[in-house]
Amino acid sequence: MISIRALQKSFRAQQGRVDALRAIDLEVAEGEFCVLLGPSGCGKTTTLRCVAGLERPDGGEIEIAGKLVNSAARRVYVPTERRDIGMVFQSYAIWPHMNVFQNVAFPLTEGRTRFSKREVADKVARALKRVQLDGLGDRPATDLSGGQQQRVAMARAMVTEPKILLMDEPLSNLDARLREQMRVELRKITKSVGVTVLYVTHDQAEALSLGDRVCVMNAGEILQIASPHEVYERPANLFVAQFVGEMNFVPGKIAAQGRIECSLGSLAASPPNGGTVGAPVTLAIRPEHVRVAPAPSHGSANTLGKVTSKNYLGDAALLEIEVNGVCLLAKMPGDTDLRVGQNALVEFPAQRWHVFVG
Amino acid sequence: MKIESRSEAVIGFSESLGRLLPQGVTLFAAGLSGFLVLFIGLPVAMVVLMSFRTGFPGEVVPYTLENYATVYLTPRTYEVLLNTIFFAVSSVAITLVIAVPLVWILMRTDIPFKKTIYVLLTIGILIPVFLRTIAWILLLSPRIGLVNKWLQDFFDLSEPPLNLYSLTGMAFVQGVSFVPGAFFMLAAAYRSMDPSLEEAAYTAGVSKLRTFLKINIPITFPAIAAVMVYLFMTAIAVFEVPAIVGLPARIHVLSSLIFTSTTPSTGLPDYGMAGAYGAIMLILGLTLAFLYVRLVKQGKKYTVITGRGYRPREIALGRWKWAALAFVFAYLSIEVFIPFSVLLWASLLPYLQLPSAEALSSLTLKHYIEMPNHVGVRPFVNTLILMFSVPTITMILSVLVSWIVIRTQVSFRGFMDTLVFIPHAVPGILMAVGLAYLGLAYRDYFPLYGTVLIIVLAHTINWIAYGTRTTNSVMIQVHRELEEAGRVAGASSARVLWKVVLPLIAVGVLNSWVWIGMLSYREVTMALTLLTRSNVVISTVVWQFWGSGWVPQVSALGVVLILFAALVVGAVRFALSRVGEIGAAS
Repeated sequence: MISIRALQKSFRAQQGRVDALRAIDLEVAEGEFCVLLGPSGCGKTTTLRCVAGLERPDGGEIEIAGKLVNSAARRVYVPTERRDIGMVFQSYAIWPHMNVFQNVAFPLTEGRTRFSKREVADKVARALKRVQLDGLGDRPATDLSGGQQQRVAMARAMVTEPKILLMDEPLSNLDARLREQMRVELRKITKSVGVTVLYVTHDQAEALSLGDRVCVMNAGEILQIASPHEVYERPANLFVAQFVGEMNFVPGKIAAQGRIECSLGSLAASPPNGGTVGAPVTLAIRPEHVRVAPAPSHGSANTLGKVTSKNYLGDAALLEIEVNGVCLLAKMPGDTDLRVGQNALVEFPAQRWHVFVG
Repeated sequence: MKIESRSEAVIGFSESLGRLLPQGVTLFAAGLSGFLVLFIGLPVAMVVLMSFRTGFPGEVVPYTLENYATVYLTPRTYEVLLNTIFFAVSSVAITLVIAVPLVWILMRTDIPFKKTIYVLLTIGILIPVFLRTIAWILLLSPRIGLVNKWLQDFFDLSEPPLNLYSLTGMAFVQGVSFVPGAFFMLAAAYRSMDPSLEEAAYTAGVSKLRTFLKINIPITFPAIAAVMVYLFMTAIAVFEVPAIVGLPARIHVLSSLIFTSTTPSTGLPDYGMAGAYGAIMLILGLTLAFLYVRLVKQGKKYTVITGRGYRPREIALGRWKWAALAFVFAYLSIEVFIPFSVLLWASLLPYLQLPSAEALSSLTLKHYIEMPNHVGVRPFVNTLILMFSVPTITMILSVLVSWIVIRTQVSFRGFMDTLVFIPHAVPGILMAVGLAYLGLAYRDYFPLYGTVLIIVLAHTINWIAYGTRTTNSVMIQVHRELEEAGRVAGASSARVLWKVVLPLIAVGVLNSWVWIGMLSYREVTMALTLLTRSNVVISTVVWQFWGSGWVPQVSALGVVLILFAALVVGAVRFALSRVGEIGAAS
């Protein structure tokens, strides 16, 4: 549905040129919810704005629903207003001089195709109902709460039933509780309509819970495109491992086939492809996979450590454990008996280790 | 790893909508620029041109450096230059001594009657400077001044003790007149300072005074310096006080010298000399404007637009409230109450005299009743034409220019922004002289000389700088995404401008519209320079009456002028909520 090929964009900044996008490729299938995830300045918003036609790329092509909307080489540029898209902005961009109805109706009365009064009223009512704002049409836009503005922005973006919905960090201005609620609702609404979504966020929890696919970006490049499960379970490289979820890192080197030497000792873990003996690697393991026990237990790679801090979260507890001078984070059930200062046996299931080159 | 993605948005901001707009916008911008170059550039070019010519405008004469030789080889020129600088420096000093405490009191303390004080300050701007000057002459002139007469009677003095006819006297009246403008500029700068910067200092355990010295002053310093430079630039160019006080006393500054060159009481006008004097003024103005822009830019680095209407707690004045009120009242008396009372008093008497039983018995409304006969209809009609056409044309141009400058990526938008700022740097009197020369020398191509339209033109050029500053700032406040949302919704650029941008900036635009209308209404320098028999406006009528020594008639007309201004301010304030900040940005 959206097809991005070798998209390139650079900006003039005070320090010279900044490459915001370095020839990225991305395919989003019809009805798919695709999340662009990355730190600030990684190029995810630029990608989205290029698809919207709000930025003009320096190179590459963008196709929407099989129609070429951008091609630097062929000098094709379809202006924003002629692209079949809906967009939810980070600030919501609810026009303060209009009421809720007028805001939602705007794409129908001023947009690509104009509709009769009756149709407009009909479509707006349906759109408002979809976001559970029915009956609030007369409300001035300035009287809305953040969550309501968010919903109006959604209704407005979807009122024309566009093929593509673009969202630029739409939940980042909401408080935590509302954000989680809206996350669930957002997925429900977009799935029920069947719209293709391109969604930008820097919040990895949001990305994992919303996306059919997550596209992790950094420094203008795409590092991994995969299902949320895969991104979490099998990060493609060190950056993704670091950015998505919590992770412990331990430097080491390849000792022999299937064994890696590090300060925790000699561990059984499969080195990355093409790793030669003696090559430096980084071992990574998620806190929830680090097993900690007060009493000796049997299994692979048991090591003695000491609990140096405990961060109680209710349903879980994050323990900081020092093992051979390495500080590791372990996620335990909230009711764990381990206390700060206590000695503990630490166990690393071999299949849970990720190994990265370098 | 939860990092805000703000900086990304900032980078994106440099590439805005316009680069993506169709060629039409660029073409339109080019057309508008071409028009503005002619519109603003021609009068300035005329000033330069006339300085290289002798004789009457339109006479075919070779170009010459004669005017420059005459001007720069005369010691008197340098005397006048010194006068000008002394006058400007002392005016600005007087302004700041009053305006800085005033800003602090009104912005930071719990002084009562804030709204009333704001309104009075606004009215203070709208009282034409020449009327205030006339009022102070009626009080402090050695010959007819009421205060002098009273002091002489009371202390039995043979000589009048006070004399307004000096550079210091001129600086006093001018300095006082600058205060409201300076106040609004400084208040705007102060307001754009993030209060949390101050509060951060408090929470770090720094005292209020030290915070003021170490945080507030350094942060607002560029703004204060910018206001100083701006006032200095304006003080060099002002004409009203130098003309009314200076000319009779033969104290010349540059502006009055330029005026007398083109409008001599005897003999032929000498535009060549005016041009040569104007060249100094032009260079001074452009240099100061450059400095001003630099300072403003520097000041912007510190401003943080939080968008929250949140202010730090006001300092409770307690017993000092009365001292603060007294200070404000004393200033407002000098600025508004005393001049108005004097004019009112003089307007009700057959001739100027001290209050007495005899004076009270001779009070009359005669000068008000007879006013229409003296003034006629024409000046009123002409003034109305000014008040409506000047702000309308100015705001239409300003909105278009600002939209291109702020919202599009047209490659020459920076040039356009600078272009419309130029009138700030070119004194009004020079613009008017340039236009007069244009009208006289090229009347076949530019047949406006002697019409009210040439004044409309002069005023529009003069206030387009102000107009674009305000439209720029209201346009910046409209979040970029509001406009983008309109385009995503499928509306064309023109439709988005009409349906989204215009309604959002309407209040701000209307505010400046009214303000520019009022400034045009009270403006006299340019109207006077371009004056002929047929394009008389009310302000020039007052001037002519004063020249004829018709004190009661001048006063009566002045009272009406001030009351009308007050009425408009009151009405607008009633109609729009944010009028307290009317004219605040410039």
